[in-house]
Amino acid sequence: MLIGGMVLLKYVFVNEIIYIYLIKIKKLFIMDENNQFHISFFRPTTERAKKNRNKVLVLLVIWGFGVFGFQILLKVLEKSTPEPVLTEFNDVWSQVKSGQATDTELQVFARSVLQVAGKVFIEPEHRKAFDNGITWATMQLADSAQKTAIMNALISFEKIAADIEVLGEESYGTAKNNLTALAIVPLELHPNELLTRLLPMELRSEMADELTEENKEIIEKALPLYTTHNRSVLTDTIFLGFPFHYFYTAVFLLIMFIGICWFYSFTTDKINKKLHIYE
Amino acid sequence: MTCNMKSIKKIIIPLLILLIPTIAQASVGATELQGSFKIGPSIILIIILCLFVLVGIVFRAKDTTDYYAAGRKISRVGSGMAIASNWMSAASFLGMAALMYGSGYHGLAYVVGWTGGYVLLLVLMAGQIRKYGKYTAADFIGDRYYSQTMRAVGAIIAILISISYCVGQFVGIGLMFKWIMGLNYIWAVVIGGSVVLAYTLISGMLGVTKNMQIQYVIIIISFLIPLFILTFKFDYFWILPQIGYGAAVTDVVQGVPVNEIAGMMNSLGHDYAIVPSPEYAMPWDPATGKTFFQWIAIAFSLMIGTAGLPHVLQRFYIVPNASDARWSVVWGLFFICVLYWSAPVYSTLGKILSAHPEVGKLAKDAIVVYTAQLGNVHPLIVGLLAAGGVSAAFSTVSGLLVAGASAFSHDLYVKVINPKASPRLQLIMARLGTVLMAIIVILIAILELGLIGELVAVAFSLAGCTIFPLFLLGIWWSGSNRQGAIAGLIMGGFISLVAITYFIAGKQGVALPFYDFISYYLQAWYFAWIGAPLSILTNIVVSKLTSNTPLEIRKFLVEKVHT
Repeated sequence: MLIGGMVLLKYVFVNEIIYIYLIKIKKLFIMDENNQFHISFFRPTTERAKKNRNKVLVLLVIWGFGVFGFQILLKVLEKSTPEPVLTEFNDVWSQVKSGQATDTELQVFARSVLQVAGKVFIEPEHRKAFDNGITWATMQLADSAQKTAIMNALISFEKIAADIEVLGEESYGTAKNNLTALAIVPLELHPNELLTRLLPMELRSEMADELTEENKEIIEKALPLYTTHNRSVLTDTIFLGFPFHYFYTAVFLLIMFIGICWFYSFTTDKINKKLHIYE
Repeated sequence: MTCNMKSIKKIIIPLLILLIPTIAQASVGATELQGSFKIGPSIILIIILCLFVLVGIVFRAKDTTDYYAAGRKISRVGSGMAIASNWMSAASFLGMAALMYGSGYHGLAYVVGWTGGYVLLLVLMAGQIRKYGKYTAADFIGDRYYSQTMRAVGAIIAILISISYCVGQFVGIGLMFKWIMGLNYIWAVVIGGSVVLAYTLISGMLGVTKNMQIQYVIIIISFLIPLFILTFKFDYFWILPQIGYGAAVTDVVQGVPVNEIAGMMNSLGHDYAIVPSPEYAMPWDPATGKTFFQWIAIAFSLMIGTAGLPHVLQRFYIVPNASDARWSVVWGLFFICVLYWSAPVYSTLGKILSAHPEVGKLAKDAIVVYTAQLGNVHPLIVGLLAAGGVSAAFSTVSGLLVAGASAFSHDLYVKVINPKASPRLQLIMARLGTVLMAIIVILIAILELGLIGELVAVAFSLAGCTIFPLFLLGIWWSGSNRQGAIAGLIMGGFISLVAITYFIAGKQGVALPFYDFISYYLQAWYFAWIGAPLSILTNIVVSKLTSNTPLEIRKFLVEKVHT
């Protein structure tokens, strides 16, 4: 059809320029048969080149599927899975938000937000809102005597924390321990719990009076962000101690790359030897 | 050779005997996470740098061929070590752990990208590049596309890639100098940059390849020793930390309660404990703000960038034959993987050890050193680790500055601008090029535009959009001609320009049209995912529409490169 179109164009419209460019377009699809010195990966001319092309293609397919195929599989299989802490938070959040939460609900709220605040990736803006929630809930749960004691201890701790140069200073440690001992009571945290260790770091004296509407909104949006994960059988299976997908990507793929490179070099040398080719 | 080794031993051993007690005593200062001048690590660093210079003097190049190609006498394993040393920069040593520490599974895209590219390099290029028989990437481009202009453009691109690659290294050098000397970041970059410049000017023309082998050994030893100690201390399978840390990844995901790890704590006295944090290991987790597309785009861009970096391609000219070129990739990749299997150990243990809010925000790019410190590793070994980080950056920077200076003086000045330049003038131009590049790099590094790994990734995307298509088509398709190469280069260059312009504008707070769209799909770390295919396509189409490649080029490809 292309050739027919060219003939029509040449003899009917006699348009030299269009004709010349159609000839060039034809080169896109048809090989120059007279070209004796032509190298093309997809059109090898020798037995060795054909074998090399086939081998390279097979290895590239393995490489491509190994790297990108696995990630696509991860994507296909993944399900957005909430952590238990999000379920606990959701169970009490509407009551906390409306200001009608019971003491138990406030404790659940404070514990769940504290657990998220202790996570490894937290935006500073989100941490501020979480701290507001934790401090406010702690104060809500405390009776007036406890409230005064916690507030005094917190102000003292913040003052020392701002002044010290080294964490190991005794006054800092004492102030932190005092605050911890007082603040865990209303939240009913065990002294040996991890959350107990985190608590004094998440209390802020200026945020004790109310949980602001702005921070309520941030907590509501940010908490699911940190507690919902893309999980599947590939992420939940443990292999040599690793989550399987992590092992595959961080360890196995590198072994596979070395294996491909070794195989290619070994077989190329072997073929060259067989065909008596000296490079 | 034996005589050389003996003379090195004669100098080094007494020096070490004299200095070890001093270092051991002085190393106490290294326990501080940040802060003051640390004399122990400083002495270790000075010894290592002196050792490099000394080795360079002993194994110095005797002529140009010896310098550029190490006389083509390097063994497969030796060449593999040189490739690995050349490759293992601050981005590998410091930056990779930082990326995983900061963005979890997303950081593994860099690990995969920086290693998977070697497969492309081997099966598509290594042997053929060796057979082509040139010394620099610009030489290849100029000859294959029979154009002095292309040679000049190739040299300019090589310089730009070197600068871009060096910026990340200078950030790493700055951070380590800041840690060792207790300076602020800007002064640390200026002083560290000046030291590396002086080091390059002194040792740049000396035994580069032998030096690289020794650098590899020092870098890898300094990186591995703390891993054995850390995994042993925190009760993981320490005999093979690269597998043993799998349990630590699962610990981060599931959380480590306080009562399970009685007695284990970091150097600041916090329990070895962490709340369940699946976001560290789960793919493209919403908490990290990274997406599936970004993972794929980064891995792909880094892979093709690897196969297009001038200083990496240059390594294949130095081996005796094409078979050795291939085996040097296998060995090089193995040596590189030893480090890449190990880097996630630092980020994972670092996550647990720095989980307590009291530790505060740590500079991610120094997390390797902080992890060792938080893990109560002996200060002397932490000092060695920091010195290893600086050595990794130094070895790469000196190679890049020399490569950039060669492109400036040899490919650009002598071959294009002034072919009659005397050897003395050539040397002056090379030194001038080195100093100019170092100044430019210091100025950019001060701006702190991103993490080390991210900054280095810009160089990869640039190489992927420009050099990679020229080499790939230049080797595998004789139909690719000068016009096609120019058109492909314009396309790749245009995409690169847009991506880098939007990146810089974003950093300066300048709002450009379609900013969100372009900065997401053409981000500076991964714009080659589309730039490289478009460049290749443009090259093919334009080559097909224009005149054939000259017969002598095609004959050369058939008879020399593919026979």
